[in-house]
Amino acid sequence: MSFLSFIAELFNLKLHKCKCSRCCTVPITAVSISLLAACFCYGQNCNLKFEGQILDLHDNSPISAALVQVLDDNQAVFSNDKGFFIFKNQCSGKIKLKISHLNCEDVYQELNLNKSVFKKFYLEHHIESLEEVIVEERKIKKLSSTASAYSLSDLQKDQYSGRGLAKALEQISGVNVLSTGNVISKPMIHGMFGSRVGIIYDGVQIENQQWGQDHAPNIDQNAFEEIRLIKGAGVLKYSGDTPGGVVVLENDLPMINDSLYGKSILSGMSNGRGLSFVSSWTRSYNSGNYFKAQAMIKRMGDFSAPKYILSNTGTDENNISLTYGKNKILSHWKANFSYFSQEIGILRSSHIGNVSDLVRAIESASPTIIRPFSHQIASPKQSNKHYTAGIQYSKRNRSNGKLYAKYSWQRNNRKEYDIRRGEFKIKPSIDLRLDTHDLLSNYQWERSNWSLDSGVFLQIQDNYSNPLTGIRRLIPDYIKTELGTYFTASLSPSNDFSLGFGFRFGHQNNHVKKYYKNKRWNDENYQDQLGAFVINEVLNQKLVEQRLIFNNLSINTGVKFPLTEELKFSLNIFHTERAPDIAEMFSDGLHHSLATIEYGNPFLRSETTQKLVLNFEEKIGKFTYEISPYYTRGQNYIIIEPTGIEYTIRGAFPVWEYRPVNAIIRGFDVDLSLRLSDLVELKNNSSWIEGYEKATKTPLINIPPLTTTNRILFSFSHWKSFLMSLSSKTIMRQNQFPNHNFEASVVENGKRVNKLVDISTPPKAYHLLGMELHWGPYPLNSNKISLSLIFDNVFNTSYRNYLNRLRLFADEMGRNVMLQIKIYH
Amino acid sequence: MLKNLYIKPIIALCLFVLIFACSKSDDPDPVHEEEAITLVTLEVSKAGSSETTEYNFEVEGHDHEDEDHADEEEEDHDDHDGEHIEIELEPNSSYDVSIFIYNDTDPNNVEDITLEIIEEKDEHQIFYEIMDELSGFSITSASDDTVDSNGNPLNIKTTWTTTGETSGEVVGYLIHGPTSKTGNTRNDFGGATDFEIDFEVHVE
Repeated sequence: MSFLSFIAELFNLKLHKCKCSRCCTVPITAVSISLLAACFCYGQNCNLKFEGQILDLHDNSPISAALVQVLDDNQAVFSNDKGFFIFKNQCSGKIKLKISHLNCEDVYQELNLNKSVFKKFYLEHHIESLEEVIVEERKIKKLSSTASAYSLSDLQKDQYSGRGLAKALEQISGVNVLSTGNVISKPMIHGMFGSRVGIIYDGVQIENQQWGQDHAPNIDQNAFEEIRLIKGAGVLKYSGDTPGGVVVLENDLPMINDSLYGKSILSGMSNGRGLSFVSSWTRSYNSGNYFKAQAMIKRMGDFSAPKYILSNTGTDENNISLTYGKNKILSHWKANFSYFSQEIGILRSSHIGNVSDLVRAIESASPTIIRPFSHQIASPKQSNKHYTAGIQYSKRNRSNGKLYAKYSWQRNNRKEYDIRRGEFKIKPSIDLRLDTHDLLSNYQWERSNWSLDSGVFLQIQDNYSNPLTGIRRLIPDYIKTELGTYFTASLSPSNDFSLGFGFRFGHQNNHVKKYYKNKRWNDENYQDQLGAFVINEVLNQKLVEQRLIFNNLSINTGVKFPLTEELKFSLNIFHTERAPDIAEMFSDGLHHSLATIEYGNPFLRSETTQKLVLNFEEKIGKFTYEISPYYTRGQNYIIIEPTGIEYTIRGAFPVWEYRPVNAIIRGFDVDLSLRLSDLVELKNNSSWIEGYEKATKTPLINIPPLTTTNRILFSFSHWKSFLMSLSSKTIMRQNQFPNHNFEASVVENGKRVNKLVDISTPPKAYHLLGMELHWGPYPLNSNKISLSLIFDNVFNTSYRNYLNRLRLFADEMGRNVMLQIKIYH
Repeated sequence: MLKNLYIKPIIALCLFVLIFACSKSDDPDPVHEEEAITLVTLEVSKAGSSETTEYNFEVEGHDHEDEDHADEEEEDHDDHDGEHIEIELEPNSSYDVSIFIYNDTDPNNVEDITLEIIEEKDEHQIFYEIMDELSGFSITSASDDTVDSNGNPLNIKTTWTTTGETSGEVVGYLIHGPTSKTGNTRNDFGGATDFEIDFEVHVE
């Protein structure tokens, strides 16, 4: 705390300006004090000139007709058009000033005059129109005028403060979590994940090699006050290549007043015997300056399934973010820095050598390695660091246009550790460093019934794969440059009727240098198509340099209007084009957890999808429903599939390769709510989805099964601050799945037998009961405190989740009791 | 004040340009595959004889040999299945068999992984699983075998004993991080398989 206020004070000292709300005296330096002493020796000098200028605190514009009074001798002048005023024939010595203006509080100031001076005075000028601007700036902007945005309430957000972004978002219907183990989890929206889902923080898409299933977004959602989501590429301002959806993380703008506030959350979890602590503080000043600091620390040990400990599944996380900004209402600038660091243990028994090991793991009812509980994180593990820094500036002009510019830098360092030998034990198997620079600028016009937004962006991304890992690069070195522009327009001719249109165009250049093994090169006959790009040959490998260019155009259009007085309807069509990921084109390596070899496809073209989303929302008395069916058609939709078996000295490995298909994904999300009385509310969220290849009707992999959640909420009116909820979540078995099972020859009881390796069959349906109790907020000294007790998987059910990559190895987490203490400062 | 506002974005822009002005365009270094096992050698000598037969089981990595017949994948993996390399033994004899494990990805710098395994003897185990059809055949740890800190032999040096004429497979495994160091089948050992090779044995 003291550190924060110290920093804040430091910044404050630089601002020699007066605030309306209270009078401040300008500090006089030691030099002028000694000068003053000298003056007294010579007696009073009455030929001094005192000049000044009155300016608006927020935009530096001059304030005319401000009354400036010297209080002791009743002299008074008005400032002119340019804010200037002048007092002639002043005597040296102390003078008291009073500055007043119609729309401003009076400012008093004392001044020691010993020579002619010119001084600037700042008034906080509350013109009515500015107040409008303040209100508008503070309120969170709609993400889309026609597509539905879903936001997490504070309660929903804080409950998941220690469990990651994806799990927090799972509370929204149509959002699932695709995971690898219990911690590595990424949001899946309408059956799409990875680079098809954009995660936008502070106006910039997070770039953290999030293509793979085992690469979770490296972001601390606790650093943001608002978490919103659109199911579809509905925010072209931020991204055009995310047909799944966009998650937008933003911060509120602090009020322009002198205050210090914040929130701290301490959570303790029984499963994993872990603690997480999140604290955020905002210091704001009358001058519009503000400083925000947020930090999180988390320590978790091994999780437990109902019947056994999930060895080596602990997590450590340390995050910090700092923001400094100045909000002058008409202009605003902000600089921020954040650091995210995470170490995640991966289930020890999931690190296998070959297909025979996989067969053994699948046949074993419990993990093959179970050790006593520990907080230690050993290999296999991931160690991820993400740094961001950015500076942004926005300026509003009188005609309600707003210019915005931002530069942002991100660095992601991903290290994955396998179980290795000798000196390589402590060396990562994958060591990627991704630097991304974004430069963007946009201009917004807003009127009462229309708004336009257009901008340009430049992104440069540099990936470096450290060759010292001793393992061939999974992702090659590359430099990606993207230059583009977007335009969005929304029109609301009447209150209920909105129309939206937008496009985003991006020109992308991928400059890739990749080593191909001669064997793979020959097997795939790459010589014909890629032979011209070989620049070097070394150690049975060919170095290929390629420049791949993609031009992508994404278009949105939507309409929203009431069908009847109560029934709101919206229709949105998203056409998106997505350049294939570097991983989809060039990945090359072994995945230990499924004992698969993964190969990219260098000939992929841009993936195009069209998504139609309808939304019906109606309130009938105490009953509210929202039904949202959607239909997605994908051309060149990139999927990964097994294509054969590769034999190595380790044994046999199935090979998975990327392939474009024509795909259909469709489904619906339903949210129902019935308020039985003031005390009791019933809620249901359900979602159904199916996805398949158009030509063969083969189902797509990793499509979430039918999910339905029923909740009953009690809030007792005479216990004003108590809320209880019971939730029952049913996840059906996914019956539509592609059959990727294969036969492998394994040794069993002294004989070689062919065994079917069942990696495809989804697990059984399951049901989970949860309970939440929330008390508060209650006053505590000058703060407020609230308490939550949350039970997950109350019945300690053993189950496996189709969307968990490690489902072949172990059950999911068992019962968890979480106690959360939240303090609002 | 105003000046300040413009200067910062300009500085940022300059930095941005600067970073890319000096961004590297060097070619990435090739990765030396450090722990990959590419060659397993069995040195077989009849007890009392000084004559040693060497059997090489090469896998993957070695593309120079099959560059010209890329399509013949079947044949390609046969080599390491051992179907074409037969270990010829005489009946009613005893053989000293030593196993050597190498990484010869870089022919100028062949790495002897056997030494690493001996160094980390507690975390490794070699296991020979004898198929049923290979009757009257046994493998035991030799007296000069490496022993781990709990007294379990690693099976780097073994004695193979034959009785009658027979033929069949011995599956050799290198197990990393075994859950047990003793057992009769591969399942008993747990851990992750570092190599799995079929040795075709002919006793006649």
